[in-house]
Amino acid sequence: MASSVAGASICIKSASQTSNRTSRLRSVSLLNSKTFPFLISYKGSYRLQICCAAKPETVGKVCEIVKKQLALPDDSDVTGESKFAALGADSLDTVEIVMGLEEEFGISVEEESAQSILTVQDAADLIEKLIEKNGH
Amino acid sequence: MNLLWRTVRIPMNTFCLHRTFAASALHLAPVQLPSRAESHLWYLVPDEVKSVSLLGQYSEILSPCENEYVACIRGEQLKKTALLARVLVRTTIARYQTDGYIDPRSLKFRKNIHGKPELEWDNDDSGSRPPVQFNISHTASLIACGVTSSSPIGVDIEKKDRKIQNNIISFARRYFTPNEVERLSSISDLNVQRQHFLKLWTLKEAYVKALGKGISALPFSTFTIKSRNFEKKELNGSGDSDPEITVESVDGQRSLLSNWQFTLLELAGTHFAAVCVARDGSMGGKNMFNFGLGYGKHFTGLKSILTVSDKCFTPKKLTVMKTIPFVGDESMSGTDAAIVCGF
Repeated sequence: MASSVAGASICIKSASQTSNRTSRLRSVSLLNSKTFPFLISYKGSYRLQICCAAKPETVGKVCEIVKKQLALPDDSDVTGESKFAALGADSLDTVEIVMGLEEEFGISVEEESAQSILTVQDAADLIEKLIEKNGH
Repeated sequence: MNLLWRTVRIPMNTFCLHRTFAASALHLAPVQLPSRAESHLWYLVPDEVKSVSLLGQYSEILSPCENEYVACIRGEQLKKTALLARVLVRTTIARYQTDGYIDPRSLKFRKNIHGKPELEWDNDDSGSRPPVQFNISHTASLIACGVTSSSPIGVDIEKKDRKIQNNIISFARRYFTPNEVERLSSISDLNVQRQHFLKLWTLKEAYVKALGKGISALPFSTFTIKSRNFEKKELNGSGDSDPEITVESVDGQRSLLSNWQFTLLELAGTHFAAVCVARDGSMGGKNMFNFGLGYGKHFTGLKSILTVSDKCFTPKKLTVMKTIPFVGDESMSGTDAAIVCGF
C-alpha cells in the first residue's frame, strides 16, 4: 500500500463470515474523494488482487438499474454493499440486470463472470474494468 | 382447487399437529424413498403459513449460519420465503428415513464448486443417511423441492405472470441459441411469447442445476431445449398432446443428450415448474445408443444392447405433493395444481 493517503479514500476490507464461496468483502470508506488502489483477498482461493474501486457514479447507475429490475421504490436503501440475493434477485433478475448494464455502459459481460457478481459493488467494479479494457 | 387448510394454533412449547395427534416435539411423518423410476416434487405456499409460533419453531431448525443469512434478507416477505425454503429442504430430506428418525437440525449442507447445495455427511452418519439427491427453487410466493433417490435433479420455478424488463427477442439473441430465438420469434401473441420465454428459462435453469452447474459454468447459448412435439407438428401437421422436451448440445455438431428427462408443469395455478432428472442414475452427456453399439458383437451381445437401451429410456414418474412441514401433506398429482403443460 502506498504511504500517502491524503485526498484519497481508503477501503478497509474484512473477511466475510458466512459465505464459503469467493465473496466480496465489506468495505468501509474513510474519506470520500478519489479512489485508491487496494488489496482484495478472495476467501477460498487465497489470491491477492490489486483493483480499483468503481466511481460512485457507476455504483449509483447500477443501483438505479437494480431498483428498476427488482421493482424497488426509488427511496429504498440500495448501496454498493447490497447483495443481489438479499434484495430478492433470482438468477433471471441477475441476468436481466447484467443485460441492462451491458446496454447502459456499452460493454459485454461473459456469463462466466456472472458468478462473481454478488453485490452492487461487484457489478460496478466489473463494469469499470471492462470499460477500461475496451479503451473507452 | 378448494383446500381445507386452516391456520394451526400451536402452543409455544409443543407441536400440536392435529387434534388427533399427541403433542410431541418436532414430529415429521416419514416418507418412502422414491424408486429409481420416480421423482418427488414437494411444494409450499408461503402465504398459507400464517402461524407466528410455527414460524418461530421453524427458525429453531435452521443452523446459525442459515438464520444469519435469513436475517440479512430485506423485507418481511422475502425473509419468510428464505426461512421456509431452508425449512422445506431440511424437513423434506429428514423424512426419507431409512434407518430411524433423523432430526432435520442435524443435516449438514455444503455447496459444490458452482454453488449448488448438497448434503454433507460425517463418516459415522452413514447408517442413517437417506440416499437422496435434491434441488430447490423458490419465488416470493412458492417454494419447490425436487427429490430423487440417486439421479441428479434440477428444479426451477417462475411465476407465470412475471414481466420481463428487457426486450424478449433481444434477451434471447444475447443468451439463448438461434434455434430458440427462431421459435420465440415465431410466436406473434406477445403474452404467449412471454410465457414461452419463461417456460424455456425454467427448463434451461433446471438443466444446468441438474448438472450441478449454473449459468456461469454452462452458458445458455451452448445448448438448445426444444419440443419434439412442436417439430413434428411443423413437419407434418400432427402432434401428441404430451410434448417431449429434449436438450441438444450446440457444439459444432448438434448432439442429442438423451439421458435427461424434462417435465414442465403449471404448478399451483400460479407458476411454471421445470424438473430435469438424469434417467436411471446416469450422469448424462453421452448418447446411450453410442454406448450400446460399442458393447458387443455377438447376437447375445446385441440383445443386451437392446435391454440396456430400454432401461435407459424408461420415463420417470413425477409425484407432486403440497406440504406444510409438521402440519400436513396433500398429494397434487393429477389435480389442477400440477398440470403438465405444452411447450
